[in-house]
Amino acid sequence: MLLQRYLEPSVLAGISNLELVAKTVVDGFVAGLHRSPDFGFSQEFAEYRMYSEGDDLRHVDWNVFARTDRCYLKRYRGETNCQLTMVLDASNSMTYGSQRVNKLDYARYLAASLAYMASQQRDAAGLLIFNNDVRNYVPPSTRQGQLMRILHAIEKAEPGERTDFAKPFRHVQEFLHRRGIVVVFSDFWERAATIIETVAPLRYRGNELVLFHVLDPMELRPKLDEPVLLEDLETRDTLEVTPDYAAKEYREKIDAHVEDLRYRAKGAGIDYCLVDTGQPLDEPLRNYLGVRKGRF
Amino acid sequence: MGFLAPWFLAGLAALGLPLWIHLLRQHRTVPRPFSSLMFFERRTQSSVKHRRLKYKRLLLLRLLLLLLLALAFASPYLLRSIAGMAQKRTVVIAVDRSFSMRYGDDFDRAKREALARLAKVPQGTPVQAVALAGGVEVLSQPAVDAGEARAAIAGLKVSDGRAPYGEFARYLRTLSESTKLPVEAHLFTDAQKTAMPAGFADLRLPSDATFELHAAGARERPNYYVESVSAPKRIYDPKRVRIQATVTASAAPKAVREVRLLLNGKVAQTRQVEVPERGRAVVEFAGLDAPYGWSKGEVAIDSADKLGADDRFLFSIERTDPRKVLFLHSPRDSRSPLYFRTALESSSEGAFQMEARTTDQADGVALANYAMAVLSDAAGLSAGAEKAIARWVSGGGNVLVTLGPASSALAKAPVSGETLGGSRYASRSGERFFAAAQVDQAHPATQKLGQMEGVKFYQAVAVEPGNARVIARLSDQGPLLLEKTSGEGRILLLATTFDNVANDFPLHPGFVPFIEQLSRYLSRMDGAVSNVAVDSFIELRRDSESQGTAEVIDPDGKRILSLEQAAKASGFPADREGYFDLRRADGRRETVAVHADRRESDLTSVAQETLALWQNAPGQTNAAAAAESTSKPWSPWWYLLLLLAVISAGEFFLANRYLSTDIDASEASPQKEAA
Repeated sequence: MLLQRYLEPSVLAGISNLELVAKTVVDGFVAGLHRSPDFGFSQEFAEYRMYSEGDDLRHVDWNVFARTDRCYLKRYRGETNCQLTMVLDASNSMTYGSQRVNKLDYARYLAASLAYMASQQRDAAGLLIFNNDVRNYVPPSTRQGQLMRILHAIEKAEPGERTDFAKPFRHVQEFLHRRGIVVVFSDFWERAATIIETVAPLRYRGNELVLFHVLDPMELRPKLDEPVLLEDLETRDTLEVTPDYAAKEYREKIDAHVEDLRYRAKGAGIDYCLVDTGQPLDEPLRNYLGVRKGRF
Repeated sequence: MGFLAPWFLAGLAALGLPLWIHLLRQHRTVPRPFSSLMFFERRTQSSVKHRRLKYKRLLLLRLLLLLLLALAFASPYLLRSIAGMAQKRTVVIAVDRSFSMRYGDDFDRAKREALARLAKVPQGTPVQAVALAGGVEVLSQPAVDAGEARAAIAGLKVSDGRAPYGEFARYLRTLSESTKLPVEAHLFTDAQKTAMPAGFADLRLPSDATFELHAAGARERPNYYVESVSAPKRIYDPKRVRIQATVTASAAPKAVREVRLLLNGKVAQTRQVEVPERGRAVVEFAGLDAPYGWSKGEVAIDSADKLGADDRFLFSIERTDPRKVLFLHSPRDSRSPLYFRTALESSSEGAFQMEARTTDQADGVALANYAMAVLSDAAGLSAGAEKAIARWVSGGGNVLVTLGPASSALAKAPVSGETLGGSRYASRSGERFFAAAQVDQAHPATQKLGQMEGVKFYQAVAVEPGNARVIARLSDQGPLLLEKTSGEGRILLLATTFDNVANDFPLHPGFVPFIEQLSRYLSRMDGAVSNVAVDSFIELRRDSESQGTAEVIDPDGKRILSLEQAAKASGFPADREGYFDLRRADGRRETVAVHADRRESDLTSVAQETLALWQNAPGQTNAAAAAESTSKPWSPWWYLLLLLAVISAGEFFLANRYLSTDIDASEASPQKEAA
C-alpha cells in the first residue's frame, strides 16, 4: 500500500524521470492487485469454435477432428505478441490543469505506464503524438530500447496548435499494418459523433480501440466565485462566464457530452474510459485492464 | 467656512476617475485560460451584481485624496472667534513730548490725562507706556503691573525732538505682530499737522487695534518764531559777513517784532521787522565783529506767544585768518599768478591769501603754513624742492600742478609723476583749438564749472592717466584735469596753464568759481552749515579707521561720550537744543549749534476729518465690522496637507499590495501553463 501512495499525480509530478514514473506506477499498481509481477497473457485454452470458411487451418484442433470428424478451431485467452499503439493528443487544450498536474502530463504518465507494462510482457508498443497533424511517431516494435524510445518521445511531446482528429487518424490507419490495441489519450473537445466517426475506422481493421477521455476536475465540475473571462487555449476566444452558468448548465452539458461519447463508443465497439486527472493513476489502469479482461 | 479660491472645487469632478477605474474597469480582469469554451455560452449578468466594487479601501482612500486635494487648492478658511482674545489686549499709553508740547501747559495736561486713562485700565491687562520724541521711546515693557508705566509717564519731560505719527503707527503694527494680542492705543498729543507722515497709508493700524487720539491743545495756537538763520560757518573778514534770519507767524496776526543778533550772549545788532499775518519776513544783519575762534551766535525775537522756546535760533561761527596758498611759477611767467590771484581774491568770503614765488625760491619754504600749493608750469623746480613738496603731500598737503610749454619737455609731471607725452598744439593738427568735451560735474572742484562752453584750448600737454582719475577731457579725448591721491594728500593735474596764452580760460566767467571751488576742495574746506536741527547726526570722524579720540561736551558742559565711544564712535545724534563743543577725531575743535526742528513751531492742527479717519481706520464703525473683528480667518491648509500626506502613504501601501497580488497572479498563470 505504501507504493500506491506514489500513484498520486501530484507525487508523480515531482519525479522527472518518465521511466521511473512508469515503473513506479506499474509496480505500485501491480502490488495493489496482489498478483505476480510476471502477470501477463499466456497460451491458456479459452473455447472451441466451429470452423468456417476462411479460418486459418493452423488453428484447427486435429485431435478433435480425428475423434469427432468435425473441424473445430481452438481459441486461446491471450496473444503474446500483441501490438499496442498509443495515440497521444498534444494539443493546447491538453495543457490545462487546475492542479499541479495538467492533462497532458497525466496522459504522459498513463502512456508511459502502458508502454512499460507492454515492455515487461514483450509486447510490441508504439506511440503516435498528434495535435492538428502527426507530430511524432514511434512504430510498434519489440526491439531492444523500444521502451526508451517511446518514453523519450513522450517526454519530448510539446503542446501546440489545435486538435484535429481527422487528419492524424487517417495517418494512424496507414501506419497500422497489424491488428493490435490502439489506445487514444485525448480530452476529446469535439462533438461525440464526430469523434466516433473519426476513430471508428481503426476498429474496422480488427483493432481493439480504447479511448481515454482525460479531463480536469475543473472541466467536469467547474467552480467559479465570480464572473470570469475565460480564454480558449486553442482558439484564443474569450467568453464571459458567470458562476451560475458554470454550476448548472455547463455541468449538464459536459455530463451529456461524456454520456454521449460513452454511448456512441459502446455502439461502435470501442472501449471508453473517463479519466479524471484528480484521481490516482491506478484508477484508469484498473479500468483499462478490467476492460481488457472483460473482452477476453 | 469659506473658500479663497472656490473655482478649484471644480476639481471634485475628478472623483469620478477612481470610481470609473474601480467600478467600470474592474470586471475587465485578465482572461483566465480554459481548455475549451465548447460548452460555454455568453451570459450578461445584472450590472449591479456584476460590477461590484473591488478594493473598497483603496477606492475610499483615492476618493479622499482627490477630495482633500481639491479642498486644499480651494484654500478653505474658518472664522474663528477671538471673543476670548478680545478680553486680553495690550493697552499702549503714548504721550507726545515733542518740542511743540511746550506750548502753554499742553504737556502737563497730556501727562495728567494719560495718567488718568492709565488708572482706568482693568487689572490684569498688560499696559505699556511710550513717548513720542524724535521717534518712539519705549518707557516700559508690556506688563500687568501698571506701576512702571505710571512712574515713567509721571517722570516724563518735554524734549526738543519731533513726534512722528507714522513711526507710532508702525510701532503699533510691530507690537501687534510680536505679542499676537489686540492693541488698544491711546495717544495724548497736540495733533500737530506737521507730525503727520507724507502718506496716510503710513498711519495704517493693525486690524485688531483700537486707537483713540486725545488732543491736548487748542485748535488755533498763534505763534511767532525764528524759522531759520543763514550764517557762514567761518568768517575771515568781519566786515564782509552777512547774516540772514527768517521770522514767521504761524496762525498769528500781522505784527512788528524786534529781532536781535546776539554773539556770545551779548546783543550785537537789533532790527525791527514787520511780520505779515500767517507769513514770514527776512532780516539781514551786515558785519559781525566776532573774536577769533568759535563764537556762539543767536537770533532772537521778543516773545509774544505761549511757545517761547522757538523765539531764538542758535548758530555757531568761527573767525579765522584767510588761508595761505603757495603759488610757484616760472620766473618768466608773470601772467599765471596774476590771473590766479585775481580769481582767488574775487571770491565772496576772501578765505584765501595767495603768496607767489618763483621756482628758484622754492627751496626751504615752510610748506606746513600753506593750505595748498600751486605748481604753475614749474619745470625749473629743484629736485630737493620737489621731494619736499612730495613729502608734504604724502603727509596731507594738497597741490595743483599745471603743465605748460616748460613742462612738456619733462618725461614725468612734477610731484604727481604722471608720464607726459609732449605738447599738443591744436593749430598743427588741423583744428584751431580744442574744446572741453567731458567734464565730471559731480566732482567738488568742477561743480560750478559747467561744460566750459566757449573756452578755447590752443595748447595742452599729453598726459598718460595711469592710476589718476580723469575729471575733464578735451575734444581730442586727451585728459584736461586729473586727480590722484598720494598718501593723505590730493594732487590735481591740469594739462594746461592759467597764463591766457595756452588757452583763454582766465577770461571766461567760469574761471573765478572754478578757482574758488578748486581751492576749497584742495584746502579741505567743507561747506557745512553753522547749525543743525535736533535729532541730526553729527559726524565725529571721516574715516572709521581713524585712531584719534573724539570728545563731545553737551550744552550743560558734560561729556556725553564714554571712553569706548570716544575711540570708536563715528558720530552722535544731537537730541537737544544748545551748543555742543566737539573735538573731532582728527583733532579739530568745533562748536555746533543745535536748534529744534522748526516744523514743530508750526502749530496748525490736523483736520478733524483726518483724525476721525485715522481713529476709525481699523474698522470698528459698525456692528458688522465689530462682529468681524471678533472673528479671525483661520486656514486649515497645513492640516489638509498633512492629511494628504498620510492618505497618500496609505494609498501607496494599499495599491502596492493589491497590484503586486494581481501581478503575482498574472505571472503565475503562464508558469502554470508552461508547466
